[in-house]
Amino acid sequence: MNKPDLTVDLAGLVLKNPVMPASGCFGYGREYAQYYALETLGAVVVKATTLEPWLGNATPRVTEVRGGMLNAIGLANPGLQKVVQEELVWLSTQNVPIIVNVAGRTEDEYCQVSEAIANCELAHAVELNVSCPNVKCGGISFGVDPHVLQDLVQMVKRVCALPLFVKLSPNVTSIGDMAQAAEQGGADGISLINTLIGMEINIHRRKPVLANGIGGLSGPGIKPVAVRMVYQAAKVVSIPIIGMGGIFTGADAIEFMMAGATAVMVGTANFTDPYACPTIIDQIKEFMVDNAITSLAEIRGCVL
Amino acid sequence: MRVNVAKITNLSADIWELVLNGPFPYDSIQAGQFVNIRIGENYDHILRRPISIAAVDRIKQRMTIVLRAVGAGTKWLSERRVGDSLDVLGPLGHGFPIQSTAGAVLIVGGGIGVPPLYLLAKELQPIVGQLDILLGFRDQQDCFWLDKFAPLGNVTIATEDGSVGKKGYVTEAIVAEPYYEKKWQYLYSCGPTSMLRAIKELFVETQVKGYVSLEERMACGVGACYGCVCSSENKQAAKRICKEGPVFDWREVTL
Ligand SMILES: Cc1cc2nc3c(=O)[nH]c(=O)nc-3n(C[C@H](O)[C@H](O)[C@H](O)COP(=O)(O)OP(=O)(O)OC[C@H]3O[C@@H](n4cnc5c(N)ncnc54)[C@H](O)[C@@H]3O)c2cc1C
Ligand SMILES: Cc1cc2nc3c(=O)[nH]c(=O)nc-3n(C[C@H](O)[C@H](O)[C@H](O)COP(=O)(O)O)c2cc1C
Ligand code: FES
Repeated sequence: MNKPDLTVDLAGLVLKNPVMPASGCFGYGREYAQYYALETLGAVVVKATTLEPWLGNATPRVTEVRGGMLNAIGLANPGLQKVVQEELVWLSTQNVPIIVNVAGRTEDEYCQVSEAIANCELAHAVELNVSCPNVKCGGISFGVDPHVLQDLVQMVKRVCALPLFVKLSPNVTSIGDMAQAAEQGGADGISLINTLIGMEINIHRRKPVLANGIGGLSGPGIKPVAVRMVYQAAKVVSIPIIGMGGIFTGADAIEFMMAGATAVMVGTANFTDPYACPTIIDQIKEFMVDNAITSLAEIRGCVL
Repeated sequence: MRVNVAKITNLSADIWELVLNGPFPYDSIQAGQFVNIRIGENYDHILRRPISIAAVDRIKQRMTIVLRAVGAGTKWLSERRVGDSLDVLGPLGHGFPIQSTAGAVLIVGGGIGVPPLYLLAKELQPIVGQLDILLGFRDQQDCFWLDKFAPLGNVTIATEDGSVGKKGYVTEAIVAEPYYEKKWQYLYSCGPTSMLRAIKELFVETQVKGYVSLEERMACGVGACYGCVCSSENKQAAKRICKEGPVFDWREVTL
């Protein structure tokens, strides 16, 4: 049998395999480069980058819950300038495509960061994290109103020459509407899901466990929600989809692809096992061999 | 990395000592570093638990950890049997800087913060002139490893109820020393943050060089998630306890 072909095409960005670490769960790659060569990965997705440095929330910022974990990091990052000079310059020597996750408080901040990332010529794509509170709209997230989302994507698309992926928030009534809004705004692809908003209370202290009170839920427990949302989005858009949410094994990744995803991102699983991504790549390969699949296109969206 | 449980001992009501062997870079361990241990083989517990390395035997190629069973993860660890294997990452973080010249040293430990100070005391003892070790526990039930510390220096115990050693907190035992501000050149400490803060206050105006080991809830344990930060005194970007720490110069971090 032919060797299975794991390459995927994300709006012109060709990846040697469909597996990438999810934003915020892999730093800028340095830490995991001690465990394996980053070029093993389809791409590296870095932490959210903002115009100015963000300090993030008070601690505790993370806690394990049944089925996953909650985090309220608060998009802590050293800001655009340092990310480019200290992190992307290094990462660009690792022979792996780079996707920069961009966040902001205003449309203008998103545009400035995305434009600068495109102009620095170190990154291969931008992923817009639209789960941030919009300062102008009283702190409601950009990712929950289709009109606000479409406008934002349009504005960023105008100034950013790189492939633009929009990372959707699952905390919405209709994921299909949001996916379509991103597509109409000119997105080259969508990625989903970001974390679901959750909370845990320490009943002895009668206080929330996280200093921020609420936080984002990720991990195995969110996978059925995530697969369902990829499936619903895939039904209504024609741009490529990157699926994520609770992927821990190759089988999980295959499930997302069958729901319509072209590629996948792996977040929380990196914490459980730093070798999660390379292991998942091997397991996908094995599944393809066992099932005589030569190209991932054969299974993509097969349940739609 | 997979290590094996070579020995497991119950030290007191809820405190357990595990000796681990098997492939691990024992030779590179610094006192104050930790291992991040996976809990179970499935995905019921997706976050590893950080536990300090308390002792290392570089000849026999094994290390010891001591833990208090406080929740699901540490309870699972306390239920391991000899021969069980554990998935550990490490050694992680930066340990205590070991000075190369003699000078009077005070080591202060509190509760489950005591174990990594044993490895530190063993490494410091051949170098320093005078090693004073002050260990604080809640009560007699809570005390462990007193015999192991005894040969390493001048050991004082303080318990909150006075059931062993002096009655009261470790800071009270420090203040009871005549000219305590001038007695030591170096101070190393690990324990509850409230204790570290109180000790820092006692010495912050003096010339004493101090190092403290901090704790925070962790997700990745390797510096990738920014879950475990503490704030630095100069208000620069926050420091990651798992990567830049867990040991910090006490003048550098806000406690
Ligand atoms: C650098 C470092 C070294 C440590 N060394 C030791 C040691 O040598 N011996 C020892 O007994 N304990 C040590 N701890 C504390 C130990 O990690 C926690 O007690 C343990 O994680 C609790 O997990 P659990 O599942 O038993 O408790 P649970 O309460 O069920 O834990 C729930 C969640 O909270 C987290 N958590 C709870 N308390 C702590 C804490 N104090 N620090 C970090 N995470 C916490 C757990 O990781 C988990 O995600 C250390 C912590 C750090 C950061
Ligand atoms: C600690 C942590 C930090 C995260 N930071 C970001 C971030 O900066 N930007 C972003 O778009 N998503 C962020 N996420 C969301 C993940 O990228 C991912 O969408 C989510 O965790 C679901 O995938 P998982 O279940 O595989 O973790 C973060 C998640 C975690 C757990
Ligand atoms: S636990 Fe992830 S950065 Fe420290």
